[in-house]
Amino acid sequence: MSTPLIKIRTGNQMIAEGALHAGCQFFAGYPITPASGIYKSMIEELPKHNGVAISSPDEISALAYCIGASARGAKAMTATSGPGWSLMIETVQYALMTELPVVIAVVQRLGPSTGGATQGAQGDILLTEYCTSGAYTIPIFAPSTAEECFEVTSLAMFWAEELRTPVIVLSDKEIGMMSEDVDFDSLVSSPINYRRQPNNDTTNVYKTYDFKSLADIPLFSPVGGENKATITGSAHDKGGSLQKNSPETIEVLRHLQIKITSRAGEMAFVKTDDDPNADTLIISFGITARTAREAVKRAREQGMHVRLVNVISLFPIPETLLKKAAEGVHTVFVAEENLTGQYRSVIQHLFTGKLVIGINSFGKMITPNDILECTTL
Amino acid sequence: MTTVEPKTFLKDSVAFPFCKGCGHHHYVHNLDRALSSLQLDPKKVCIVSDIGCIGILDSLFISPHTFHTTHGRSTAFATGVELADGILNDSKLKTVVVIGDGGATIGLLHVVNAALMNVDVTVLVANNMLYGMTGGQNSGFSPLEFITPTTPEGNIVPPMDICAMIKSCGAEYVTSISATDKNLTTVIADAIAHPGFALVEIVELCTEFAIGKNKIDGKTIQTMADQHNAATLPTTFKRKEFCEEYKSKVLGRPLKIKNDALTQKYISSLRGSRRWVIAGTAGEKVQLSSYLLMRAGILCGLHATQKNDNPVTQGSGFSLSEVVLSADDIYYTGIDVPDVVIISSAEGLKEVTVNGTLSRSNNQTVIIMEDSLPEILTPAKMYRVPLRSLCTPQRATTSAVAAFIANELMIPLEAMIDSIQMHVGEKVALYEEDIKKILPLLS
Repeated sequence: MSTPLIKIRTGNQMIAEGALHAGCQFFAGYPITPASGIYKSMIEELPKHNGVAISSPDEISALAYCIGASARGAKAMTATSGPGWSLMIETVQYALMTELPVVIAVVQRLGPSTGGATQGAQGDILLTEYCTSGAYTIPIFAPSTAEECFEVTSLAMFWAEELRTPVIVLSDKEIGMMSEDVDFDSLVSSPINYRRQPNNDTTNVYKTYDFKSLADIPLFSPVGGENKATITGSAHDKGGSLQKNSPETIEVLRHLQIKITSRAGEMAFVKTDDDPNADTLIISFGITARTAREAVKRAREQGMHVRLVNVISLFPIPETLLKKAAEGVHTVFVAEENLTGQYRSVIQHLFTGKLVIGINSFGKMITPNDILECTTL
Repeated sequence: MTTVEPKTFLKDSVAFPFCKGCGHHHYVHNLDRALSSLQLDPKKVCIVSDIGCIGILDSLFISPHTFHTTHGRSTAFATGVELADGILNDSKLKTVVVIGDGGATIGLLHVVNAALMNVDVTVLVANNMLYGMTGGQNSGFSPLEFITPTTPEGNIVPPMDICAMIKSCGAEYVTSISATDKNLTTVIADAIAHPGFALVEIVELCTEFAIGKNKIDGKTIQTMADQHNAATLPTTFKRKEFCEEYKSKVLGRPLKIKNDALTQKYISSLRGSRRWVIAGTAGEKVQLSSYLLMRAGILCGLHATQKNDNPVTQGSGFSLSEVVLSADDIYYTGIDVPDVVIISSAEGLKEVTVNGTLSRSNNQTVIIMEDSLPEILTPAKMYRVPLRSLCTPQRATTSAVAAFIANELMIPLEAMIDSIQMHVGEKVALYEEDIKKILPLLS
């Protein structure tokens, strides 16, 4: 029997490990609790792998540096928390519009405003997803353990490159700053990919945003490359020329959404702790999914039939998987550490005819007892 | 000898979208002539622009890469392009930032940081002293007494001198010039050719909004440019262009593999989990003691989590750690009822009181508390130990943890000693002495 390779790591360190594994070449950071550990790890590690990791003077610069580097062809990433994310929103919209891949790790803390820097929370679900004018779907993956931080970051890098779009790793203070034993032999990762590029033999004139069907991903050619890149955050046609509302421009804007949602099935990722006889479903994610797992363990000891779904791909919402998980149950509980049940508010329409109940906590972690008390009522 | 005819980078026969008489006409033509005169491969030129009248010049260029960004942020995007180019690709791309005085106002920090870094980006500020695209509102560059729709009595805030500011960042190439100056092509070409950060302020007239209510003409503009050029260079920093500096000092740092992998060496008799809270004063190795405990648990094949807490400032006040050791996977990482609480100081006691650790303790909980602290009412099994005087404040929590382990025998003491020795080497003997002193007090 081989001895497992165990290391003590925080979730933040494992996000950095996941990014390095995925071939991240560029990181720009600005310190903010509880995300600073990612910044520090990338500054330490990336130059050893011939990548660039630099400090920026604010979060706006951090993300703009990343997107500039991405336009030059680098696989790029940054990390922040709520207040810094607020500053990045203009720039993340730009990345979405210009179809430049980037991964942003958002390590949630208690808000609003500067809130509680060292207080955990899962309160930025809607702020993160619906940050764009037009409410475009931004893929969001949420880890619940240090090992999943690695897995999910690798996955986020994969989809960012695959779809030419910003992708969020939505972690939280508890997972980010807590240390735990990580078995490096059992880490799971996605294939290492790179945005598809045009074949330069072609006689066709390169268009920065060209596609045939709305779900197609335009081929990427960097600034400084052989094809003239015409990048713009303004409404544009397939060639990148500024247009007001020409049919082609509207088509480009619709494509930005369709290219993501048409792959919702491929991106859908949940981890299910199943009981085939379940009459109750608990849905959770991030740190609270772990707590829910403990609660389910105890509930089963009491003879209850409970199914648990840990949602990793929060967005696009894995609708089919969630509906399937709710088959045969009469009650769906959604456990999350925020005031109003943010994720519940966007998934409850999937469960018509069933009782949907939120288990929420605010300013403190949800405990297994909180979940047991609700589910055994 | 053959001469190469300078080739324009602009589209043929495209009408400029600027107002009649606007300085932007001069700006664009001279930028084009400068690029041509340098005989650059257009594939090695990237024009980064943003919002405002001058920002739409990207649509006029046919051959270089264009990168039209968000308002005022073009210098930051350009910095990212240049870092990836200069360090990761080494392709000598020339990155030119086209920005107005409005963009330079909102994005000033990006210009300042690019200048401080000395990244090879050329910033050409079209200063027409107002926001032309949105109706002529005053900008951070509007002169005193300047009349605009938003300063109807005349501007009462002095303008920033971008040249003086950027010179103070140690930029080597900074100059101000009128848009109608016959040397504009040469100045822009020199700025682009400069190996490092360069900034040219091109002072212009907005014919739509600046003239009429203001007494302003070519002479005024020349005076302004002269004044901005007169600023002396207050600071110089000896450094190379940023990418060169980074490549020589940071990149390719030796790949030192941190050999901190742990394999099981000891056997624990723990079933289920053991939840610890360790509280004391910042700077007294509280979090280290928790790390060593966690490591000891992992050496016994246990799963472990550790969470630390401290006030916003990291070096003062309380320091607290929560450690969970478990024979099974750890799902819930919080501590409802603590199994072991160690309190080494008044700050630690205050925190375990405030955060509810004490009120959540029950008669299964064991508390080891510094002897000099006041009595507390608790159902827990309480051991009062003069930790600070017996072990010194620095060793107090680690020795208390080790003594509890030695007393309880669920985890072999050797595992904890292994961890301590890994960290302090021969000084482990001091801890072994501490443990001997504490153990009799735990019975």
